[in-house]
Amino acid sequence: MKKTVDVSIPLGPVHPCWKEPVRLKCETAGERVLRTEVELGYMKKGIERIMRGRPWQEVMFLAERVCGICSVIHNMVFIETMEEISDIAVPPRAAYLRVIVNELDRMASHILANFSYCYTIEHETLAMYLLNTRETVLDNLERITGSRINTAYMIPGGVRFDLLPEDAAAMLADLVKVEDEIRRHTRIFETGPLIALRSKGIGVMSREEAIRAHTVGPTARASGVEESDLRLRHPTYRALGFEQITRTEGDNFARIMVRFQEVFQSIDLIRKCVERLPEGPIRGGGLCKAGEASYSGEAPRGELTYSIKTDEYGRVLDIAIRTPSIMNIEACAHSMIRDVTSIADVTSTFISSDPCIACNER
Amino acid sequence: MSILQDIKNAVRSRSIHVSYVDVGSCNGCDIEVLACLAPRYDIEQYGIYVHNNPREADVLLVIGSVTPQWVDKLRDIWEKIPEPKVAVAIGNCPISGCVYARRGTLTTPPVENYIPIAAQVPGCPPRPTEILNAILSVAPLIYKDYEEKQP
Amino acid sequence: MRSIVYYVREFLRPEWLKKFFFAKTAPLVTPSYFKDYPSRTEKECTACLSCMMICPAPGAIAVLRKKDGWEPEVYPGHCIRCGLCVEACPEGVLASGRILDVTRRDKTAFSSWYRLQVDDTLCMRCGNCCVSCPVNRQVDPQLAGTGTSASDEVIMRIEGGRVTILHEEKCTGCKTCENNCPNRAIRVARMVEGVQGEEAEA
Repeated sequence: MKKTVDVSIPLGPVHPCWKEPVRLKCETAGERVLRTEVELGYMKKGIERIMRGRPWQEVMFLAERVCGICSVIHNMVFIETMEEISDIAVPPRAAYLRVIVNELDRMASHILANFSYCYTIEHETLAMYLLNTRETVLDNLERITGSRINTAYMIPGGVRFDLLPEDAAAMLADLVKVEDEIRRHTRIFETGPLIALRSKGIGVMSREEAIRAHTVGPTARASGVEESDLRLRHPTYRALGFEQITRTEGDNFARIMVRFQEVFQSIDLIRKCVERLPEGPIRGGGLCKAGEASYSGEAPRGELTYSIKTDEYGRVLDIAIRTPSIMNIEACAHSMIRDVTSIADVTSTFISSDPCIACNER
Repeated sequence: MSILQDIKNAVRSRSIHVSYVDVGSCNGCDIEVLACLAPRYDIEQYGIYVHNNPREADVLLVIGSVTPQWVDKLRDIWEKIPEPKVAVAIGNCPISGCVYARRGTLTTPPVENYIPIAAQVPGCPPRPTEILNAILSVAPLIYKDYEEKQP
Repeated sequence: MRSIVYYVREFLRPEWLKKFFFAKTAPLVTPSYFKDYPSRTEKECTACLSCMMICPAPGAIAVLRKKDGWEPEVYPGHCIRCGLCVEACPEGVLASGRILDVTRRDKTAFSSWYRLQVDDTLCMRCGNCCVSCPVNRQVDPQLAGTGTSASDEVIMRIEGGRVTILHEEKCTGCKTCENNCPNRAIRVARMVEGVQGEEAEA
């Protein structure tokens, strides 16, 4: 019988390209990778177990620390779930401020994802450019919320700090700079011939495969899945006239380009928010009550769902979190990294789906 | 001899290789370590090179409260680093367990139970400047009079 | 040849030399709006324990008795720099970044209160909760080992073999009763509401 598998190559858990521990087991024949298996479980902290029996002011911080990169959206979805349970109305100014902070966080996350992709394909110059642009975005986040990461900005019935007019002006000035820089980086990425060699036509996932694997977020949008952005259903985003970005190629290049385009879209959304920012209070108050609800929001990586059950004092009795990365990682292992011609493409394809292991295992 | 040693100390403190290992954090600290690479903070202008190979590293940045999977692997990584070496705990998690050190948790902080820690950088997450300062203050101490200390 | 001349001329420009030899990264300053570890202001702490009760991180803040009165102490390594204690403090004892100014200007605050809940199916009527409660001990120093008390001013007491809660509003939310309960029958709920405007000032 002919031998099909030459050697099984493990990548990780400590690997220069991964930011977080995960292990990929690649079965190879020569340089060709036949099958990939993902081994998870290095980051299981039991956050959902810790959350049980705690009031919102403690669970909020645990929810934020599910994932440090997209901490704002975890905070936002948890708080909006609690608001749905307890029928708390948010003042319009607070709703717009939430969108501003959320979009700033999404920009930082997308730029970081593109940074790690450029770093993985060894285009270090572009990677460093992107990382420097991300610092400007984080500066604005810090100006509004007071911290760069894990901002703890939203509370039931509002937000914690107001946006001052001079801060808004400084943010808009910074956004012009960021837009210029990102436009330049996008051009570098689009036209670079070596980048095209490493990205175009590699790790292709068709639309059917993407739907079958339940991929979400930019990974699904790069494969042409329509209506996969949950911001379309969020009332504030709908008021802002949000439209989804879809590409049809489904390869590494498309996934990175979708993120670049979403950064531009986020900049537009923030500008619209600042323009339409209504006057008024930023906190409406309201106590958490008993109830049960499931609510989804669009994280930078895709659909994020919180299912929460509370008791009469607003303590979390039971909670289940579904994070986007788990579907994307499975789809990545089974649909994208399949018959790739080089082991070097495994890392870049894996990073292009923007895996977040801390989200995944909690 | 001592002049030669002084030159060695000075030169070696400007050439530090850093490896980081995430043993179960929220990855907020990971990206702050990554942000140190950014041209604004530019960790490489101080002669510090971040690459994730424990076998070439001098400084190990430990991030996160220890999850069960990492209990034995963390010790393995620590043994693979050649002498002289130090470990720096980044963030609250390796120091106290941060918000995870509660009833029902699966983590077993602190990291000091598993490997010796030379410096701690508290904060959740610490700012890149704080991380930079910690590495810079630890860096000259690693190689200091290394030959003279040898038996 | 022309390119060599070009480069030599390029590198001999004084501004280039100055940039090359005296290059410095931007000063790495911490901005004033960064939420750092809370620091003390001159205000006097009244030991209301609001900061301890709202703190989401275990073991991050403790109100300790010093020589001249009470003083909140923050432990780096546990503190996650969220700034909730600064907002929750009614006296403005702690300061961090510009949170104190912002909350004063916007009149935002956290109002918190505590609810006690006894599960009768789990309660063994041992009276540990009534004896251990620090407020109870202050009100009625003669509180007996069985948890019965002659005073009507205590938070809770054993009445007719059952824990009866008399004055819930006196609870400071310290959870001493919860920790001393052998059966986890008594639970303290710390409820927090973020408010703004006239309510916050009252």
